[in-house]
Amino acid sequence: MARPPPSPVYTLRGAGGPLNTLHFSCHGGGTPLLFSGSGKGAIHIWNLNSRRAERILEGHSDSSVIWVNTLQSSDTFISQGRDMRVCLWDLSEGRSELVESVWTGSVGFCQGSVLETSPPNYLLAYAGEQTEEIKIMELPSKTPVCTLLPEAKLGMVMCIKLWQPDSVPRPLLLAGYEDGSLLLWDVTQRSVLSQVKAHTEPIMCLTFDTKRLMGISGSSEKKLSSWMLDGQNNLQLLDCMMLVNPGVSQLCIRDDGKLLASAGWDQRVRVFGWKKLRPLAVLQYHTDMVLSVAFSDHQDFRQRLLAAGSKDQRISLWSIYNDGAGHS
Amino acid sequence: MPSTMSQINDPKIAFAYLRPACVLLTREPTVTNVETLSGQLKEINDATLQQLQEYVLFPLRFVLKVPGPKKDKLVQAVAEAMSHVLENTCVHSWDTLRDLLSELCLCICSPTDPGKPTDSSEELKLAVLRCLDALLHAAYGDIVYKLFEPIMLPGLGAAVSLLLALGENEKSREIQAAALKCLQVLTLQCDCTQEHIVPSSEERCSVGSTMASFLPGITVAVSRIISGDMRQGHTVTIKAMKVWSQTVGLVMEDNQLKACESLKAPPADLGRIAQLLVLRTPVWVKTTAGKLSVLLKKIISCTTAHQHWKVRLEMVELADHLLARCSLSLGECVGLLLEALVGAINDEDPRVRQRCEVALREVSQRNQSSSSHQTFTDVLSENLHSLATSLPRLMRTSNDQMKLFVLNVFLGYLKLLGPLVSVILNSAAHLERISKALMQVLELDVMDVRIVEERSNTVTIETSPASAHIQRKHFLNFTVERIFSVLMEICRTLGYYGNIYLLTDHFLNLYDQSSAYRKQAAMVLNEIVRGAAGIAVGAQGQGEVQRQSATQEDLKTAVMSIMEEYTSLNNWHLITVSEETDRDRQDQQLLSPSRLISISGSHGSSTVANSLQVIPPSFASPPPSSSTIHRLNSNIWQLCIQLEGIACFAQALGHDFRPLLMTSLYCVLEKAGEETLLVSQAALSSMLDICKACGYPSLMELINENSDYLLNDISLNLQRLSQHPQAPRVLTVMLTHSDCSLLPLVRDIVQDVLMALDLSYDHTAALFCSVLHALMKALARWFPSSFSRTSKSTSSKQATTDKEVFNINQFLLDYQKQKELAQGIGIEEDINTEDIEVPPRTEGEDDENLGGPDVKEELPLHLSITKDVMERCIHLLSDPSLRVRLKVLDVLELCVYVLSDKENELLPMAHRCWPALLQRLTADDPLAVLRAFRVLCTLGETCGDFLRRRVSKEVLPKLSTSLAQQAPISAKAGPIYTRTLAYKLQLAVLEGLGSLCQRLELGEADLDAVSEACLPYLSCRQPIRLQEACLSVFRHLIQVDPDAFWFTLNELHCSSAYIPPHPDLQPVLLNGMGKPRDEYSDNVLKLLREEFGPFTDVVNQPGS
Repeated sequence: MARPPPSPVYTLRGAGGPLNTLHFSCHGGGTPLLFSGSGKGAIHIWNLNSRRAERILEGHSDSSVIWVNTLQSSDTFISQGRDMRVCLWDLSEGRSELVESVWTGSVGFCQGSVLETSPPNYLLAYAGEQTEEIKIMELPSKTPVCTLLPEAKLGMVMCIKLWQPDSVPRPLLLAGYEDGSLLLWDVTQRSVLSQVKAHTEPIMCLTFDTKRLMGISGSSEKKLSSWMLDGQNNLQLLDCMMLVNPGVSQLCIRDDGKLLASAGWDQRVRVFGWKKLRPLAVLQYHTDMVLSVAFSDHQDFRQRLLAAGSKDQRISLWSIYNDGAGHS
Repeated sequence: MPSTMSQINDPKIAFAYLRPACVLLTREPTVTNVETLSGQLKEINDATLQQLQEYVLFPLRFVLKVPGPKKDKLVQAVAEAMSHVLENTCVHSWDTLRDLLSELCLCICSPTDPGKPTDSSEELKLAVLRCLDALLHAAYGDIVYKLFEPIMLPGLGAAVSLLLALGENEKSREIQAAALKCLQVLTLQCDCTQEHIVPSSEERCSVGSTMASFLPGITVAVSRIISGDMRQGHTVTIKAMKVWSQTVGLVMEDNQLKACESLKAPPADLGRIAQLLVLRTPVWVKTTAGKLSVLLKKIISCTTAHQHWKVRLEMVELADHLLARCSLSLGECVGLLLEALVGAINDEDPRVRQRCEVALREVSQRNQSSSSHQTFTDVLSENLHSLATSLPRLMRTSNDQMKLFVLNVFLGYLKLLGPLVSVILNSAAHLERISKALMQVLELDVMDVRIVEERSNTVTIETSPASAHIQRKHFLNFTVERIFSVLMEICRTLGYYGNIYLLTDHFLNLYDQSSAYRKQAAMVLNEIVRGAAGIAVGAQGQGEVQRQSATQEDLKTAVMSIMEEYTSLNNWHLITVSEETDRDRQDQQLLSPSRLISISGSHGSSTVANSLQVIPPSFASPPPSSSTIHRLNSNIWQLCIQLEGIACFAQALGHDFRPLLMTSLYCVLEKAGEETLLVSQAALSSMLDICKACGYPSLMELINENSDYLLNDISLNLQRLSQHPQAPRVLTVMLTHSDCSLLPLVRDIVQDVLMALDLSYDHTAALFCSVLHALMKALARWFPSSFSRTSKSTSSKQATTDKEVFNINQFLLDYQKQKELAQGIGIEEDINTEDIEVPPRTEGEDDENLGGPDVKEELPLHLSITKDVMERCIHLLSDPSLRVRLKVLDVLELCVYVLSDKENELLPMAHRCWPALLQRLTADDPLAVLRAFRVLCTLGETCGDFLRRRVSKEVLPKLSTSLAQQAPISAKAGPIYTRTLAYKLQLAVLEGLGSLCQRLELGEADLDAVSEACLPYLSCRQPIRLQEACLSVFRHLIQVDPDAFWFTLNELHCSSAYIPPHPDLQPVLLNGMGKPRDEYSDNVLKLLREEFGPFTDVVNQPGS
């Protein structure tokens, strides 16, 4: 007999807007936190112990917050809004001060990406003012590093991922564009290393497993397409995963590389085994598009959570496949 | 006594003064002479008297020594005189002491047996005893010890036995007490206020070894006195106990026995006296201790539960005294003494308690300081163990007072052991014993059927949250409340001193193990946690520092594990309602397959795997038998205890309990919505306790501030409704207790509810109807509609029209004006007046204009919710289940009420409802018709115009016919008819019809039809309430059209003749005139009098 469908462990309400982005911060010894950015411009910091919003940050003058992130090395918190700004916050010792803000000029929905090169320095990649432009800046010094502009017309930058491969000491950047192409950039040489057409529709999201050099991207189509990098940094398309309903807002791979979660426009979160891309579960709770998913970074595997944020203004927290044995 | 000023100081003068009297007395021993002497003696100063002591005593003693029988009075007078002398002087001479002692004893003992008293007068005995007392007090230190030389044994023995006999057998309490006091003095242990000789340890030893000979006699006799007649009064008992403890303390003193070992053997030249002598050898000590323990047991048993506190206090003194002096020699008795002492630690009287605490502290200090510490603890723990073993038996067999005592002893041991409790509990045998004893003692009586039958109705939940009363628990083994409270204190003390993890583990095990122990274990657990938090533990003072106190963190962990157990599937979702007694069968059927399955927040953390559980089939559908009742009762109690437990935990943790509300509050609220009265009350009082403990000012704040937690669980469970049927109930309770600040959050959940409903109309409709009902009730409460105001204004308007009627002139003018108007004259003027008449409507229009004609303003939240709900009602109105239809009609009525302020919203909705509502009104079960009619009336109150045509066309004909058809039946029916549905239907229709007609401003034809249908109900043959309801219909009708109905009524019956004021006018002829009294007359006349009273008079006056 099949197991009954799981229910969320808890749902967080009161965000007051669609939840575009989620980010956990549970690795330290302190209170486990979940950051959420809403379409109404508020950033909620949820205390996962009391399951209540501990603080609410307002820094994007009521325009939609599209990306939130924290740095591993410090208490710096990064948020990106559609007011064309990336804000850096100091959250240490209970503060919530806006330290710095970077003007991006991008009117799109492309979420930024951050790479901690040599703490306290880190690189921030974000979509620039021009349609296809990606800018990279070193922080906290705010030194511009480079601007990446493809030669061909690929449409808007939809999603980017900045990472540091083990093989080369140079950071690489994966970018998905409006026409469905996926490009691999060498950041220091400002050159395209590889390019594939992963989708026929705009790429909505991508995620990349830096250990296995394998990634997956979603679009407004009914499929997820996975790809990998070979030894020569060439992108190669792998299998497609067909979905029941079209549209994926976000993809997320769990730290241990075992699970992949997708935020579907069909109000469902789908969970896959990452190794073989096997569908495992459909999490159904939300009553509107799911916009974001995130896995928690708890050190104790058993406490790990999956969070999903939806347009129905709720965040659902799920405790799934975390008995340590992977998918059973 | 004369003052010293006038006393004679000079011995010579004194001698001269006393001599004649002494001589005279020697010559003539008469009472008068004795009295003369004693009178003179009082004038002598003490020092002088001392010098003349021997001289003065001589004649007195002489009187006693004269052979032959003497009069009692004389002896008494002599004894009194001697007492005076002895009280004020000292006896230096051994001979005097010895002789006086024997002489005095002889006065009151029988000539044949010196150990038995004569039957002389009580006054005499008392006087002699007082004299003896004075003598012994007067004896000088160096001679008094001679009394205790072996040679004196026979004499002393005689005195002792005489005193014992007096103490035991006399009827006068005074004599008894005096005799016992003499015994005290005789052993040099008097406790009166006079000065006493303090014996050295050696002297004490010799006194002790002499008294050893009399120990058996004294102890046996005195314990007889103690355990004797309860009526003898506490003074005698107390004295006797003093004598007992002092004698035993003297003879068995550890120090003496240690010292005496080396003491010389008795002198050999004693002859037969040597036989009397007792050597306090270890063997003797041991056997004596054995015998004493028998006596001690007897004494303890009859004094520990004594009614007078002083006796109990004396018992404490006795135990303390003996434990302090003889704990080694009395080895066997130590346990007994401790038990007695410990038993008094919870005495009702604070004085006894205090003394006892002091004594116990001394005991434990003494033992801790000495090497025998281990043994003392051993004794205590052994006692505790054996007591725990016998506790269940004692609780079954003994009387309440004894039970209370036993439990007090138990508690006392725990307190005495203090921090050592945790050590003792580490022994599995002890823990097992104690816990089993508690389990057996705390067994509940689950025979009461009422507990199962009592149902809560929502009204009580709403109105009296503060006055939730707690039902007393009934126990199998005892009935006294005090016993229960001691038992609970025992548990608290265990928790206070014991290791919280060990205890919770152990009792949770018991809780799990057997359903027989579950309730008791829960009770114990609750109190243990409270105790661990230091709540209501009376053990402070000692060991406070030493106890390994549980930290708040430990406590929290323990509480969490207990609570998880309590609120787990099998222990929380118990059946408390038997299938047969349930009115709500459909709900039951709906729920029964999954009644036991549930989640609550507490399971959220556990994984998906166990969210489904198979219920044993026997559990799900119990066979109907008497055991079912017991099981239900037991379930109810278990829930109550667990609910109390949650309150206890909140108390224990205080503000730290707040995070735990995340999981617990939902569970408690679930039970607050329970049908069973006891459970819902327990939940309610638990909620109040939680409120207090967590620092919320009221239930409302508790719920409002934690509504996110609650709504989370509700929303999750609503999605899995078949598994968690309680979710709607929780929402109901929430809505009942909170206010409109909850609305934004509720909107969220209402969407969930409605969506869940939309997904499964056929299965869950019944369940959701109750939620919707609660929701609408809450909305109606939070946003009271303003239509009561409008109804008031119309009635005042009515009153003015009444007055106008009187003025016939005005009437004629009006009539003329109307006529002209009809012909089209003066219309313009009239428009003005009309404008004034209808201000409310223009007001409403203004409102709309302000909002702008094009922009549709957003509806307030509660109205949009109401609209959503009403939408569902339309569908549900034609549900196949009658129950659902009824509920929906109730909901609909509330919806109409809430929407009544917004006609723009209400009318379209009402329009859509109409077909379904009409079906209910015309073609449904009478019950549904009844409710539908009520909805119609409410609807009529607010949108009269809208309904007018529909009602007159579609509803009224049907109602009038049915009323007319039923009228003859109800007129003939007996009293049982009022129980029938048909009657209720008639009543409801009649009660609502009037206001409906008035509200809708129905046309003449309709009114006629109504009045025709109602007229038969004016008959006095109809049931009285139908008549009243019918009268109300007519009152309303009369307000609509007074003239027409005046006429109608008078056609039926008219008592007064209307004679025209002027002969030119034609006489009024009415059908009702001159009719004999009939069934209608009373009601018709009543109506006419009430409604037209003054008017009738006015018309009548000119004629009469």
